[in-house]
Amino acid sequence: MRGIIIPHAVKDATPRLEMRGISKSFPGVRALDGVSLDVHAGEVHFLLGQNGAGKSTLMRVLCGAHHPDAGEILLDGAPVRLASPADARRLGIAVIFQEFSLVPYLDLAQNIFLGRETGRRAMHAEARRLLDTLGVTLDTRAPAHELGVAQQQVVEIAKALSQHARILVMDEPTAALSAHETERLFTQIRKLKADGVAIIYISHRLQEIARIGDRVTVLRDGKNVASLGNLENPENLEHPENLANLVNLMVGRQVDTTYRQRFCERPGDVMLDVRELEARNGVTGASLTVRAGEVVGLAGLVGAGRSELARAIFGADRVKGGSVIVSGQVLAGRAGRGSPVAAVRAGVALVPENRKAEGLALSRSIEDNVVLAGMRRLFPRGWYFARAAATVAHDIVARLRIATPSIARATRFLSGGNQQKVVIGKWFTAGSRFFIFDEPTRGIDVGAKAEIYGVISTLVEGGAAVLMISSELPEMVAVCDRAYVMRDKRIVGELQRPELTEANILRLAMHHESA
Amino acid sequence: MSPPEGGPYPSASVVSGLSRTVPGAAYLLAILIVVFTIFGSGFATTANVLNIGVQSSVLLLLALPMTLIIMTEGLDLSMGAVLSLAGVVLATLLMRQHALGVAFAGAIGVGLAFGVANGLLVVTFGLPPFVATLGTLGIAQGLALVLTGGQSVVDIGEALPALYESRPAGIPFSIVIAVVAFFVFRFALARTRFVSYVSAIGGNREALVLAGVRANAYHVSVYALGGLMAGLSALLLTGRMSAGHPTAAIGMEFDAVAAVIVGGTSFERGKGSLGGTLIGVLTVGVLKNGLNVLEVPSSLQVASIGVLVIVALVIDQTLQSVGRQRTA
Repeated sequence: MRGIIIPHAVKDATPRLEMRGISKSFPGVRALDGVSLDVHAGEVHFLLGQNGAGKSTLMRVLCGAHHPDAGEILLDGAPVRLASPADARRLGIAVIFQEFSLVPYLDLAQNIFLGRETGRRAMHAEARRLLDTLGVTLDTRAPAHELGVAQQQVVEIAKALSQHARILVMDEPTAALSAHETERLFTQIRKLKADGVAIIYISHRLQEIARIGDRVTVLRDGKNVASLGNLENPENLEHPENLANLVNLMVGRQVDTTYRQRFCERPGDVMLDVRELEARNGVTGASLTVRAGEVVGLAGLVGAGRSELARAIFGADRVKGGSVIVSGQVLAGRAGRGSPVAAVRAGVALVPENRKAEGLALSRSIEDNVVLAGMRRLFPRGWYFARAAATVAHDIVARLRIATPSIARATRFLSGGNQQKVVIGKWFTAGSRFFIFDEPTRGIDVGAKAEIYGVISTLVEGGAAVLMISSELPEMVAVCDRAYVMRDKRIVGELQRPELTEANILRLAMHHESA
Repeated sequence: MSPPEGGPYPSASVVSGLSRTVPGAAYLLAILIVVFTIFGSGFATTANVLNIGVQSSVLLLLALPMTLIIMTEGLDLSMGAVLSLAGVVLATLLMRQHALGVAFAGAIGVGLAFGVANGLLVVTFGLPPFVATLGTLGIAQGLALVLTGGQSVVDIGEALPALYESRPAGIPFSIVIAVVAFFVFRFALARTRFVSYVSAIGGNREALVLAGVRANAYHVSVYALGGLMAGLSALLLTGRMSAGHPTAAIGMEFDAVAAVIVGGTSFERGKGSLGGTLIGVLTVGVLKNGLNVLEVPSSLQVASIGVLVIVALVIDQTLQSVGRQRTA
């Protein structure tokens, strides 16, 4: 760490909130490892970190939803116990999560005062007043499900205000907001600051730090890696060199790239050709190609539109314009709007993010699962031959090295890595040649990850093509031959090796052009 | 959806404070009434209108709590069987010369016990509502048969039939009970936090928990309320038949579910409306009665409820997508 980043000097005043040495483990994961964080009254403290760095867990500890294994929490210097969300709320801690806590069929007043109801008239009057101070015109009698994301955000803030929150946590509040709405939110935040509210602000948008931030804490792998900022001299945070350093701090040391033996040097024919794709789900103007033998990444922050693009390519979400061509077959374009049936017949395989919900019949055996997508191919006459199915299943278990005592084992009893292999194996029987992997290693332990990477390598070396969505940047860099980066439902850049680095991906994904 | 600035806000629907849209069944009900009035002689008479009210009253008593249960994304299949059991308990106690109050307390107690059991099975033990209440359905039905040896309990004395036949202010007793129950649910429960929390359990349980509300207690009490109302219904059903029959209310829970769905309550996200359920119950009642007046064979009447549910939902879906296009 060079340049102007200075360790934060302890201020004289007692912080409004101090979290000391917080540790929290879940089965198999150490989510937080001695994390400390403090916020003063009237301060906006940025909490940065990649996905999975522990930000959300820390905030769930603060709101009483998780109980830390170790560490202590002090409010105005006095230790407090947060046994439940009710405790946190009583102490004036309000959290606005990314997934909103609104009840869809209750009206705005009922939502704002959920759990603290007063008279109907009084609730509506107070809700009206809160929304007025936030400068929005919303009908307090409208049910929450009728609101857009930005409006829901405002209602969440009104809810926090109504609790007289002294400590307010905002988890990526601007992720879904337009520039204008963001501006309004910042005005609100400045007002809250002036009123002495201590604010913890989680965001991936580094340029927001200079706008409203006072200090920054960076988490990585559940640990503090840096705390910086200078309350007297906020320009420090604006310095491009500091922003570049922040990215490096979030990413950490470059991980050695032993994920794949060799990269694709001479890609084959174009397997996937997407031009100016517009889809109902918001994807706009997406153009990309994937050639046989290539692993192409699709990077971006959560909500950037990666899964949406994948679903549009697969035909699961309606295509409005542009074209999708797989191995010369037009899946979407003038000929049609795309459908999963056409995609599967053209040899497209989707290995979904949520394998338990979308990829597997959990109570059925490995055998039942792997033949599922290949029924038409294995049994073209419609008769099911148990012996043929078993042969195919044995073959796939052997090829993918699925660790199981038998092909009759229900997939729910398999480990995450082996479950993922079954999902991949399912597409083998369908004869797929183009694979879309959506977060293929989420929730899988390290050893199994390496095996999944091995499977991906084998696939492309055999002439298949892979489009891989991943939020884990080291994985993206280590596995992909090149990558497209998405932001706001658009493709904003393409990175070839050697430019394919974690820092470059983050820069594109976060819209941070300096440095 | 925000109203024009400074302008008046769209008024809350008369139908319900929870749902601002009129359920498709309201249109259907109007059409049915017009059709039966024109083609069914004797449909639009005072006697027949009261008859519809009497026939619908038990259904309404069951459909009200069923609305709340469905709003929690749950279901209570045991209501009909628990009603049958409560009915034979009521009749048996009367037959043994107990006072009406004691017998009634017994019926309510049986209903409440099953309701609480359903709630605990669903909330505390985490059983799927379909499975839990299918189990209690079997138990209640079996107990009713064991208790009576499969026979009707007929010798129930005079007190209950006399109460049932009474007409306070000229209105049949069962209609009075149903109207009171509706107002208790619609205004006492829906105006307090209770129905808000019920909607939150189905719509975003996490939000309710994070708001520091004892969501489990509310969740259990919704099922308890279902059992309680089944017990109350036993008073009307037994009074109407002047007897307790162990299989009297078999399948009535499905009529209740049908009425709730017709009334615009959804199995998802806590969407529901007690006012809509009233319309749903009346639609079912009018349809059954009208087909009777038109002398349609009873086997076809069974199918009509199925058609009703589907038509009402299709209308709702169509209205919704039209509304969406307008706002978009």
